[in-house]
Amino acid sequence: MTIPNTGEILLDVQGLRKYFPITKGIFRRTVGHVKAVENVSFQVRKGETLGVVGESGCGKTTMGLSIMHLIQPSQGTIRLHTDGGWTEVNAQSIRRLRDKMQIVFQDPFSSLDPRMRIRDIVAEPLQAHGMKNRRQRYEQVEKLLDAVGLGSHHMNRFPHEFSGGQRQRIGIARALSLNPSLVVCDEPVSALDVSVQAQVLNLLHDLQEEFGLTYLFIAHDLSVVQHISDRVAVMYLGRIVEMGEVDSLFSRPKHPYTEALLSAIPDPDPDVVGEQIILQGDVPSPANPPPGCHFHPRCLYAQERCRQEIPELLDIDGQGHFAACHYTQELSLTGVSAGETA
Amino acid sequence: MITYIARRLLFLPVVLIGVTLMIFVAMSFLSPYQLVSTYIKSPEELKNQSLDDLVRKYGLDQPVHVRYVNWMRNLFRGDLGYSVSANMPVAEAIARRFPATVELALFAIVPVILGGIWLGTISAKHYNRPLDHLSRTFAIVGWSLPDFVFGLILLMVFYGVLGWFPPGRLSMWADSIVLTGDFTRYTGLNTVDALLNGRPDIFWDAVRHLIAPVMTLAYLWWAYLLRITRSSMLEVMNKDYVRTARAKGLTEQVVMGRHVRRNALIPVATVSGSMVLGLLGGVVIVETVFDYKGLGLLTATGAQQLDYTLVLGTTLFYGLLLVLINLVVDVLYAVIDPRVRLE
Repeated sequence: MTIPNTGEILLDVQGLRKYFPITKGIFRRTVGHVKAVENVSFQVRKGETLGVVGESGCGKTTMGLSIMHLIQPSQGTIRLHTDGGWTEVNAQSIRRLRDKMQIVFQDPFSSLDPRMRIRDIVAEPLQAHGMKNRRQRYEQVEKLLDAVGLGSHHMNRFPHEFSGGQRQRIGIARALSLNPSLVVCDEPVSALDVSVQAQVLNLLHDLQEEFGLTYLFIAHDLSVVQHISDRVAVMYLGRIVEMGEVDSLFSRPKHPYTEALLSAIPDPDPDVVGEQIILQGDVPSPANPPPGCHFHPRCLYAQERCRQEIPELLDIDGQGHFAACHYTQELSLTGVSAGETA
Repeated sequence: MITYIARRLLFLPVVLIGVTLMIFVAMSFLSPYQLVSTYIKSPEELKNQSLDDLVRKYGLDQPVHVRYVNWMRNLFRGDLGYSVSANMPVAEAIARRFPATVELALFAIVPVILGGIWLGTISAKHYNRPLDHLSRTFAIVGWSLPDFVFGLILLMVFYGVLGWFPPGRLSMWADSIVLTGDFTRYTGLNTVDALLNGRPDIFWDAVRHLIAPVMTLAYLWWAYLLRITRSSMLEVMNKDYVRTARAKGLTEQVVMGRHVRRNALIPVATVSGSMVLGLLGGVVIVETVFDYKGLGLLTATGAQQLDYTLVLGTTLFYGLLLVLINLVVDVLYAVIDPRVRLE
């Protein structure tokens, strides 16, 4: 893939791979690898939200953590556009870059240190990045808590005194404390009640406008992704199989897997009898993926070529709708109409 | 918090009645003649009086429950009875020996806890790498080595060969000064009293006598704390909030010190509490090896000689310590872990 307009791109990921070794025997010999993320390349534009969807175990969280260098990627380059131009994100540079890229974690219950007060949880990044004055830090914390809908009276409390939604707000305040340009949201609402999910999503949306944030939004809930994303990438078994503008991807999917995912979105209208595509079989093991297109054993349209040749992720319509399918031009796949699931 | 402490203290008499009852029941398995033998120093004492006279004299012909009630009645008058083996009232024997035990415990607990946590941290940081194996092997050797063996080795090397750390609590010359009226016993702890009396030479002498038993205790207990610290740190290291700490851009040192270790120390604190309790109860073997006249040695000698009044007194005292220290540990627990509520 090429970068169409360098000025607009904030994050550039090329050929990202994360392999986890499988060891066996008393000498812990490596007998294989779980290919959690396999040759993933994409870009995130400044100010947009790129949604990443896929079944559990498809490698979306591993990808997010690899980009943040919270786990060491096996291969690939990650570059972030900062004031001084492109900076490569690697083990050496990451600590300096933490104020440019931050992450909101999935589980708000376990991701806050239980022995720390809220003010210290949120202020700690400020301290680590050079704000030495304690009063100044706490003033900043007050502003941040206010921005995420909490008050200064919450500052002296401990995490266990808060509900899940409130804790996720604290996690968001913590992520925003360094005023980052990129925020990786790793399933930020999937651990929350549905009623609270909407509040937190709206908060994320408002904060994006207020602070000019760029989101890499990882989720497994298609409705959530459709609601918040500008563009969407669909992952299957460690690879991106389709990526494009949200409307284009939802209404005109170009990959059979996306079609199957979309058909599974429940429709609130009881009169609509949608045709659900039931995928046969389980997700194959990422330690031993099927040859050719990884999706072919479950694909309704699979042919001989699919069993042998791995399809490339190509721009199908010349307008940035990518798909990795040999027969994408021949197939006419069913999507969902805009707003149907919102 | 106050109500919690009060409620726990209300429970105290129940515990004490329980332990003393158990001792009395155990004693009822002994015949009056066995019990009375404590009072007989030499066969000549039996010339003028028969064994039965002695049994009657000490009330040992009474049934167990009557003796228990009598003992309780005396207890409420502040009389714990007379210890034949120590040749003084039980209360006085405990009051004399306890400061020695406290002193040893105080000196031992710091190297035990700090060393154990330090070794555990090294092990966790170098999980399954050479340094981890090394520190674990070192600690396990200490745990497996009987304390009387290790104590005797220390005694041989540092007293027999080098002459640095003698057994006992004080050297003869220091002891003679301490026993004079000029030397005020404020606390009964030799080191503290020496400092308060402005005698650094006696302070140093007391410390010299403490080093070897403290080393024995420390080496014995390090493995225990190492294991708890190590496993607890490994568990915490995989917690999400440690990942969060890394995401904040903290240095690895801060992540380990502020987030991992602070959380990992919660179980360590619990274990340390019971360790303090064990030390305060007296460490029989170490006290015996080093001829250190503490509570453990007193109780062991008393038990050997069937000195049941002494055993009852010290057991009562242990029960009291147990409840109080556990209470302190529970309160401290609430201090270090904000999630714990004392209700």
